[in-house]
Amino acid sequence: MKFVIKRIAGNLLFAADVFILFLVLFESKMVIPAWLQSVGRMHPMFLHFPIVILLLAMGMEFFRFRTDLKEQSGFLDFTGALLLIGALSAAVTVIMGLLLSNESSYSGKTVQWHKWMGLGIVCIASIVYWSRNAKWYKAPTAKILTVLAVLCIIVTGHLGAGITHGEDFISNPLLARRASEKPPPDKAIIYADIIQPIFKSRCMTCHNPDKAKGRLLLDNPEDILKGGKSGKLFIAGHADSSLIIKRISLPEEEEKHMPLTGKPQLTKDEAELIFRWIQSGADFKKKWIDLQENDSLKLIAARFLAPPAEEVYDFAAAPEKTVAALSNNYRAVYPLAKESPALAVDFYNKSQYTAKALQDLLKVKKQIVQLNLNKMPVSDADLKVVSQFENLRVLNLDFSDITGAGLGQLSSLQYLKSLSLSGTRVDRKSIPPLLKIKSLQKIVLWNTGLTGAEIAQLQKENKNLRFLAGYQNDEPMHLSPPILVSQYSVFSDTTHVLLKHQIPGVEIRYTLDGSDPDSTHSAVFNKELVLNKTTVFKARAYKPTWLGSDSIVHFFYKSAYKPDSIIFISLPEDAYKGEGDSVLSDHITGSLGYNNGEWLGFRKDMKLLLQFIKPVSLRSVGLHLLKVIGSDIYPPTQVEIWGGMDKNHLSLLKTIRPVPAVKGEHPELFLEECKFPATRVRCIKLVALNVKKAPKWGNSPKKPGWIFMDEILLN
Amino acid sequence: MEKQILENHLNINRRKFLSRVSLGLGSVALGSLLIPDLFSGGPEDDAAEFMRGVPHFAPKAKRVIYLFQNGAPSQLESFDYKPKLREMVGQDLPESVRMGQRLTGMSSGQAHFPMAGSLFDFKQYGKSRAWISDLFPHTAKIVDDICIVKTLFTEAINHDPALTFFQTGAQQGNLPSFGSWMSYGLGSENKNLPAFCVLLSRGRGNGQGVYSKLWSNGFLDSIYQGVQFSSGDNPVLYLNDHKGIDKQSRRKMLDKLEEMNDLSYKEFGDPEISTKIQQYEMAYRMQTAVPDITDVSKEPDDTVKMYGPECLLPGTYAANCLLARKLSENGVRFVQLYHQGWDQHSNLPKEMPWQAMDVDQASAALVTDLKQRGLLDETLVIWGGEFGRTNYSQGKLEKDNYGRDHHPRCFSIWMAGGGIKPGIVYGETDEFGYNIVRDPVHVHDFHATCLHLLGLNHEKLTYKFQGRRYRLTDSAGKVVNGIMT
Repeated sequence: MKFVIKRIAGNLLFAADVFILFLVLFESKMVIPAWLQSVGRMHPMFLHFPIVILLLAMGMEFFRFRTDLKEQSGFLDFTGALLLIGALSAAVTVIMGLLLSNESSYSGKTVQWHKWMGLGIVCIASIVYWSRNAKWYKAPTAKILTVLAVLCIIVTGHLGAGITHGEDFISNPLLARRASEKPPPDKAIIYADIIQPIFKSRCMTCHNPDKAKGRLLLDNPEDILKGGKSGKLFIAGHADSSLIIKRISLPEEEEKHMPLTGKPQLTKDEAELIFRWIQSGADFKKKWIDLQENDSLKLIAARFLAPPAEEVYDFAAAPEKTVAALSNNYRAVYPLAKESPALAVDFYNKSQYTAKALQDLLKVKKQIVQLNLNKMPVSDADLKVVSQFENLRVLNLDFSDITGAGLGQLSSLQYLKSLSLSGTRVDRKSIPPLLKIKSLQKIVLWNTGLTGAEIAQLQKENKNLRFLAGYQNDEPMHLSPPILVSQYSVFSDTTHVLLKHQIPGVEIRYTLDGSDPDSTHSAVFNKELVLNKTTVFKARAYKPTWLGSDSIVHFFYKSAYKPDSIIFISLPEDAYKGEGDSVLSDHITGSLGYNNGEWLGFRKDMKLLLQFIKPVSLRSVGLHLLKVIGSDIYPPTQVEIWGGMDKNHLSLLKTIRPVPAVKGEHPELFLEECKFPATRVRCIKLVALNVKKAPKWGNSPKKPGWIFMDEILLN
Repeated sequence: MEKQILENHLNINRRKFLSRVSLGLGSVALGSLLIPDLFSGGPEDDAAEFMRGVPHFAPKAKRVIYLFQNGAPSQLESFDYKPKLREMVGQDLPESVRMGQRLTGMSSGQAHFPMAGSLFDFKQYGKSRAWISDLFPHTAKIVDDICIVKTLFTEAINHDPALTFFQTGAQQGNLPSFGSWMSYGLGSENKNLPAFCVLLSRGRGNGQGVYSKLWSNGFLDSIYQGVQFSSGDNPVLYLNDHKGIDKQSRRKMLDKLEEMNDLSYKEFGDPEISTKIQQYEMAYRMQTAVPDITDVSKEPDDTVKMYGPECLLPGTYAANCLLARKLSENGVRFVQLYHQGWDQHSNLPKEMPWQAMDVDQASAALVTDLKQRGLLDETLVIWGGEFGRTNYSQGKLEKDNYGRDHHPRCFSIWMAGGGIKPGIVYGETDEFGYNIVRDPVHVHDFHATCLHLLGLNHEKLTYKFQGRRYRLTDSAGKVVNGIMT
């Protein structure tokens, strides 16, 4: 061999060795560009050279120190050259192999051994080549090294073949195993297409007719049911007590854990599938589509059978600039995920929608996978544009202006999975063209021209499609009561009754005589209702398709006169002084929460003096009082009204004895009215006697009761 | 000489040494070409790794509606059926069950912890035969669409830290909230509306406060903060222009304002200024977008019946649910509702039915409404509180009255929609309703799962602040595969 070439080749070998060392050390950080990956993939092709050349070279080197060969320079040179070429080609092969192993699909013990053995080949071949002329390199060394090299080659080669073709490549035809391919879910039989393949890949290296470990065979239903040395494998329907579940659930360190440690283990999903199959009765014939919708077995099996969850799209991505240019404030165009070519489009603000906005999207018609036209005024003509988005998977046309007629144009969308037509004018006749779309899985038809019965019928006829009808109101519902807006319950002359109801289209019926309103006889409320005397106002709301609401009750009190001053002869208790005497004539009534400052509370006889600057003709005096027996607030035992022209000349106008409270009465507000013949007065004295001793059933028996008043009505 | 050198490869001279060195270094250099940034020093910036505004992988859900039940609804009266408590009513909680769980200041003074069974009955519903209490009949009707997770747990025992934990990922405050992270990671869908809206309502039960810290943007750009809608008749105040200003004048004013703010920004470089400019622009666009959405008077009768007549009364939970659906279908990424009043330390049998009545029909209606518009598959709906309630009574246990204290070790929530497995019950608690037996889900796991459903890797959605890369799940969180399809 020419000297120059030899020298270059030798240097190349050294460079290659260093390069290999570097690759081995920094393997984990490498990112291999695509073109180098192709080089790596030539490894299975290239490896044939070093195998043959090195075997030959090693063979020759083995015999190198034989007496008849030892001096022959030709033989020595040729061996050297072969060793050089062999080592060099081995180095190249190893480099290719290292590049190839960087691809993530290669992992596992076999690959590791193959790699290190292969590195060993290069190592030994390089050592032999470099040191074969050294002083210490003698026959024993040569023989050992060459034999080692040959062994490495054999082992590496065998492991490599195993990686490429499978462990049992040669023995396979002898054991006559079937090829297994996973069918799509709707054609799958649970046992045959899921459980059996799991057994085959994880269990049958040992539990097959040749080995039959534990006298257990797992390749056919009869033997599975028969069980093995330790008994039956499972009790159908009771996975928890089944032997097979116990064995596969043992911790890996346990001797009896199945599959044996060191062999390929069951994945979590596979273990779950076996568990659920047994739990559901271990039926050998049941099909996947026969399982219930929400059966976990069905869901996990689907994952096992079907293509990966994330759909891989086979079209190229649209240029980023185009996508960015199409996105504006009213039309969002964005990729589904970071490196996905699929685009989703959403439209907003229907006043901004134009047919052109839809047509602009034709620039990316291949990439649009989801299109949301919810509430846009999309017409049937626009559907022509939509039908050109050939890769559409999800289409939302809710509340758009389409009629059923245009839907036929969508039948060209052969990947369409979900179609939403709620709130549109489609009816039963519009559906047949959609049924032709094979990929369609879901149609939403709430609030359309189809009746619930029609949708149910469609569902029955098309088991592979899901028809969603949405909320069907089956129970009639009560309306909520009308809401009183008027703030003041007391008025001096007239008052406007203000009512409202949040649901539009509601009719309110009312009564003024204390009877319950009903939908036929009572008057219809309108905004013009004006009251001019004390009235009990009751109202209810009605609307077709609803049940009537509960009544609301409200008391409107008339108080024609307002005293110019009120003098307290007896004082209210400190805690319930309210805002003083103005409370009694401010026309605001209090509520059951008597702490709110609207009420005056007396724990003794109440005596008030009301004075008018101008005399008034009085016919009744009403006291608006509170009754809460749980807090000892009782009606007064007696009320006296005195009147006159001045405070020193008062005469008794009326005395009444209010009805006392009884045990168990609910809290309420009530009016005690004292009526008398019309009298001109300038001064009125109000006397109300409180309950001196609370009854036994009161809150504090034998203690004085309270009188709470918030308004005095003078008419 | 050369020939000899070649033969005795182990011999070396200077020439050979130098040529070998150059060969060796050359090989190393060749290898380094395959390793990007080998010598650039330091790990790459994570922010460059993920494209802002785009999910990391194909998402199952695009939007979230989070129905937060503030105050912590009792799981023992809602979704966790524990008949054993009824059997053992009045008996002290065994120490073997309690295992030293810390108590709040409210019940630490109690000498006894009498167990209290639920006063309300439970029944089974749906294909999963899930037990649901009689207080939630409407939720029971949609049980085949939701996934009930019974084994949430947290460490926080009081409202403020627990709320903050749920909303921001840590018990201490001032971190960005869930909605802000989502807004930051995915951007807003509809440029005319904020990406993160908050709606509040309160029930008659004992309530705890909510505060704007829970929807704050933390250290993220303030454009990501939650926008709280007002509870009254006008959800967004001052939406309409004043009398005398028309759209063109408004536009001219905004343009001029932007010019001036721009000058300011060039001078000071404060990023808040550019946020402000963006918010003015968004407010302008909201003027046209919002009235259409908040106008509920045109909703069909059927929808009103589904949510209940309360849904037309602004400020109620039902009205907020309806508004949430409308906001979500218009592209608002994260709508959060808070309903206050679930803190039943006492009077539980009286208050809990009020609270349940406030939310039950509307929450179920929301799920149904989204489903019938074909939107449920891309919307993630979550219902739950910040922790659970104890199985023993706080205060005196009476035959028809009891209260429950805070319990962080197990509580129930339900989720529905985008990517969630419908019709299942996930996780199992012990018969006392105190500890988790199977499949625990920590708050971090919950966050990780939600982000995963939205197409975001919770470990990659980070923001470098004060030298550290923060993320919603802090340094924990595992995606719960069992509840996802």
